Amino acid sequence: MARGTKDRPTEERGAQLGRLEGLPWRKIILTVLAVFLVSILTIGAFKTLTLPADQRYSAAAWRDFIILGVAQGSIYALIALGYTLVYGILRMINFAHGEVFMFGAFAAFFFADAYAASGFLDSNPVASMAILLVVAMVTSIGVALLLERIAYRPLRNAPRLVPLITAIGASLFLQNTARGFFGAQLRGFPVPSALEGTWTIFGLELERVQVIVVVTVVVAVAGLSLFLARTRTGKSMRAVAADSEIASLMGIKVDRAIVTTFAIGGLLAGVAAVLYAITFQSVNFSMGFRPGIAAFTAAVLGGIGSISGAALGGVTLGLLQSLGPALILTGYEIPSPFQLKDAFTFLVLVMVLIFRPGGLLGSGEAEKV
Amino acid sequence: MGELASRGVLRAGLAGGVVAIYVALVGLYTRFADLELVGEQITLGRVMLLAPALAAGSVVTRPRTVGGERRPVASGPGLTIGILTGLVSGATFALAVAFADWFGVDRIREVFVQISEALIDFLTFGLGVPSGLLALIAVSVAGGAIGGFARTAPADLRKPAAVGILAVLLLGLLQRIVPIIFVELGFEADWLYSPVTGGLTWLGALLIFAASAAGSFLLTRDGGRASERMRAKVQKAPAAKVGLLVAILAAASILPLLLGTVISEVLGQVMIYVLLGLGLNIVVGYAGLLDLGYVAFFAFGAYTTGLLTGAFLNTTTGAAQPALSADINFYFAVCIVALLAAGVGVLIGAPVLRLRGDYLAIVTLGLGEIVSIITASKWAQPLIGGPQGMRGVTKAEIFGLNFQDNPQHFYYLALVFVLLALFVSRRLSASRVGRAWNAMREDEQVAEAMGVSTIKFKLLAFAMGGAIGSLGGALFAVSIGSLTPASFEILVSITALAVVILGGLGSLPGVVVGALVLIGLPGLLREFEEYRALIYGGALVAIMILRPQGLVPNIRRSRELEADEASQDAWAKAATGEAEAVAAVVPGGALGGEPEDLG
Repeated sequence: MARGTKDRPTEERGAQLGRLEGLPWRKIILTVLAVFLVSILTIGAFKTLTLPADQRYSAAAWRDFIILGVAQGSIYALIALGYTLVYGILRMINFAHGEVFMFGAFAAFFFADAYAASGFLDSNPVASMAILLVVAMVTSIGVALLLERIAYRPLRNAPRLVPLITAIGASLFLQNTARGFFGAQLRGFPVPSALEGTWTIFGLELERVQVIVVVTVVVAVAGLSLFLARTRTGKSMRAVAADSEIASLMGIKVDRAIVTTFAIGGLLAGVAAVLYAITFQSVNFSMGFRPGIAAFTAAVLGGIGSISGAALGGVTLGLLQSLGPALILTGYEIPSPFQLKDAFTFLVLVMVLIFRPGGLLGSGEAEKV
Repeated sequence: MGELASRGVLRAGLAGGVVAIYVALVGLYTRFADLELVGEQITLGRVMLLAPALAAGSVVTRPRTVGGERRPVASGPGLTIGILTGLVSGATFALAVAFADWFGVDRIREVFVQISEALIDFLTFGLGVPSGLLALIAVSVAGGAIGGFARTAPADLRKPAAVGILAVLLLGLLQRIVPIIFVELGFEADWLYSPVTGGLTWLGALLIFAASAAGSFLLTRDGGRASERMRAKVQKAPAAKVGLLVAILAAASILPLLLGTVISEVLGQVMIYVLLGLGLNIVVGYAGLLDLGYVAFFAFGAYTTGLLTGAFLNTTTGAAQPALSADINFYFAVCIVALLAAGVGVLIGAPVLRLRGDYLAIVTLGLGEIVSIITASKWAQPLIGGPQGMRGVTKAEIFGLNFQDNPQHFYYLALVFVLLALFVSRRLSASRVGRAWNAMREDEQVAEAMGVSTIKFKLLAFAMGGAIGSLGGALFAVSIGSLTPASFEILVSITALAVVILGGLGSLPGVVVGALVLIGLPGLLREFEEYRALIYGGALVAIMILRPQGLVPNIRRSRELEADEASQDAWAKAATGEAEAVAAVVPGGALGGEPEDLG
C-alpha cells in the first residue's frame, strides 16, 4: 500500500552536502558504521560457531531457536499489519497500537480465567479458544476505534509530529488506564490442556501452541490480503491509501475507510493478543510496549505500508531476536545474552532506518521526510 | 432549544457520564475521597465528582460558529441546557453505580480491581443505593448548571467567579506548602488551614475567593484593558522587566528556606526536570528534531558522574570497584561529563542526520531504549553495576554544603545549573545559531538553500541538548546518591517531552511552568504518585488537541502562528468542532511540520 515517494537520489544529496562541508561526511560516517557493525557481527558469529564442542549449542537447540523465532515473528507480523495499514492510509505511526493489543489480551484473560475455573477451557478447548479470540478482537477493535475517534481524528490535518506526540501520550494513558482498571500485577494466563505438549509434523516435534500460532497467522494474513484485493471496502481502503483526496473525489468515504483500517488493525491485534497470551502465558498492563515496538520494527523492516513486507519483516525480526543473541553475543561471552534480545530489536530498527529506510521490500533510497 | 441542542445535550451528558465511570474504574475517586480541600465536605474526590458534568455542561453551551458567524448561547438557556446535560450525565453514572451494586461489587472486582464497597459508599454519599443515587444525580445537575452558566454568563461575572474558585482549589491543593510558609514567616495559619483536616477552613476559602475574585474583577473590568496596559508597560520598560526578573530570582532563592526539607526535595526534582526540559527544548523546540531517547543523556550523565567521582558497584556480596573509574572533584567531573555528552550527542546525531520527523523520533526512541536495556543487563555489571546499580556517588561538598543529604542545599546547586542552562538557552535562541535553528525547523530545504549548514546546526543542537541533559543526570546522581536502572526508563524521555510541550515548545518560562505543574504538583500530593504516568499521557493528548502552543507560548512562535493563521486554525478549529472539514495544510505548524512527501 506504499504511496510513491518522490525520491531524491542520494548521490545528488551527498554532492550537495559535500559542497557545503568539503567532504561527504554522512557517507563516511555511515560507511565506517556499517563496516564496524558487520565486522562485530561476523566475528561474534564466527566465535560462537567455533566454540569448543561442550559449550556449543547443539543442532537441536538451533532448530528450536528457529521454530521459536518463526512463531514469535508471526505474532509480530500480525501486530505489524496494524501499524502498516494505519501508516499506509494516514502516514502516521500509531504508537498506541501496542496498547490496543494489550487490552485484547486482558479481555481474553478474564474469560480464560473464568473458563479455567469452571472447567470449560479444558473440556471444550476449541469453543473456548474461539470465544477468547472473539472477545479479544471485539475489545481491541473497540479500543482502536475509540483511539481514532478521540485522539487522532481531531488532528487529521495537523503537522506530522503532532499526531505522533499524541499517539505517545495515548499509549502512556492507555497503559496506565489498564493499570488502574486491572491492577499492576502479572497474571497467569490459563491454557487449555489440549494445547500443552507437542505434535509431530513431518518428523519434527513441534510445540502445539507454536503450530497453532503459525497456522492462525497464515490464515489471518491470507484473509487480509484477499479482503484488500477483492472486496469493495478493501479496494476503497487501498484507494484512500494511494491518495485520499482523489479517492474522496471519486466518491469514496474517506472517514469510513480510515475507521475500517483502524478496526482491521484492532482485529488483527486482538488475534495476536490471544496468540501471545497462550505463548507466554501471562498478561500485564505493560505487555504491549515491547511487542508493539518490535512489531513496528517489523513493519519498518519489511517496508512500511506493505502487507507482505509486514509479514516478512515480522518473521525476520522474530528470527533475528531468537537467533541473534545466541549466535552473536555468546561468542563474546556476554552473560545472559537473551537479556539483550530487545536491544537487538532496537538495533535492527535503528539500522534499517539509517541504512535502508524503505525497508527490505522498499526502494531503499527513499528519503523519509 | 431545537433538535440540534437536544442532541448535543444527550451526547455531552452521556460523555460526561462515561468519563465519570472511567474515573471511578481507574480508581481516582477512591484515591482522593479523603483529601479535604475546604472544610470537611469538599474533598478532591467530590470536586472530581462534579467535574465531568461541569465540563459537559460547559462544552455543550460553547459558542458555535454557524456560517462564519459566532453565536454565543444566552445565559438563561445556557443554565437550562447545563442542568439538562448534568441530569443526563448524572443519570448515566447513577445507572452504572446501581448496576454495580445490583451485580455485586465483589464479582466486578475480579476484573476492575478498584471497585469496592467503599467506592459505592463514597459515590452515594454514605446513603446507600436508592437514595444516595439521587444525591449523586443532584451533584451532577449542579455541576452541569455551573458549567452551563459559567460558559454563558456575562464576562464581568464569569471571570472573577472562575478565578476565585480556581484560587480556592489551588490553595486547597497546596495545603502542604502554604501553611509552612505562614509559619516560617511568623504568621498564624490556623484560621486559613484547618489543623484537623489539613484543608482550607470555610472562612479561609471565603476570604481567598473574595480576594482573588475582586482582584480579577479589577484587572478585567474594562474588557481586560487594565491588565493589557500593565503588560504593555512591563514590556516597554526594561527596568520593569529587570525588576520582575530580580523578584522572581529572589523568590526562587528564598523558597527552600521557607518551605523546609520535604518540599525542597520536590523542588529539587522539579529543577532536575527543568534542566532536562531546557536541554530537550533546544533539540525539539529550537531545532525541531523530535528526540524520544532523551533518557540516554540523562543516564549517561548520571552514570558517568558516578564513575568519575568514585562510586561503587553494588554486588550480591557487597561493593566492588567499577572496571573504569576515577575519583575526582564533582565540579571538575561535571565539566567532563557535559563535554562527553556533547560528543555522544554528535555521535548519535551524525548517522541520523538525514532522517526527519517521525522517523527521527523512532530512531532516537530506539537508541534510548538500547541504553536502558544495556544499563539493566548483566553485561554491564562490571562497568556500571547492571541490574544492581551503583552507590556512593559524591555528595559534591563545597563550602560545607552537603548536596545529597540536605535537599535545601541541593536546591541551590540545582538552581545554579538551571540558571546557567537558562542563560545559555536564552543567548542561543537570540543568536545567529538560534535563527539558523528557526530557519531549519520551518523549512530545511529553504534553510539549506539560504546557506544554513543544516548538518552543523543539527549536530550542534544534539550536542547542546545532550550536554544539558547530562547535567540533569549528574544532578540526579548527586541528589540520590545511588543509581539503579529503574530510574532510567523511557518514562523519563516522555516526562521531559511532556514538560516541554505543556509549557510550549521553544518557550523558556514554559519549561519552568511545565516542570512545576507536571513534577511539582504530583510531588506535593503523594496521592498523585501512582497516577503520574496516566496524567502525563492524558496531558500530552489534551495539549496536542486543545492547545498545541502550550501554556506559556513562545512569543516568536505565537507570531509565526498568527501569520500562518490559515494553516494553524484549520486544525485547531477542527479540533474544537467549530469548523469541520478544513483540509488545507500549509507548512510551518507548531512543530515545524513539513508538508507531506517533500522530496
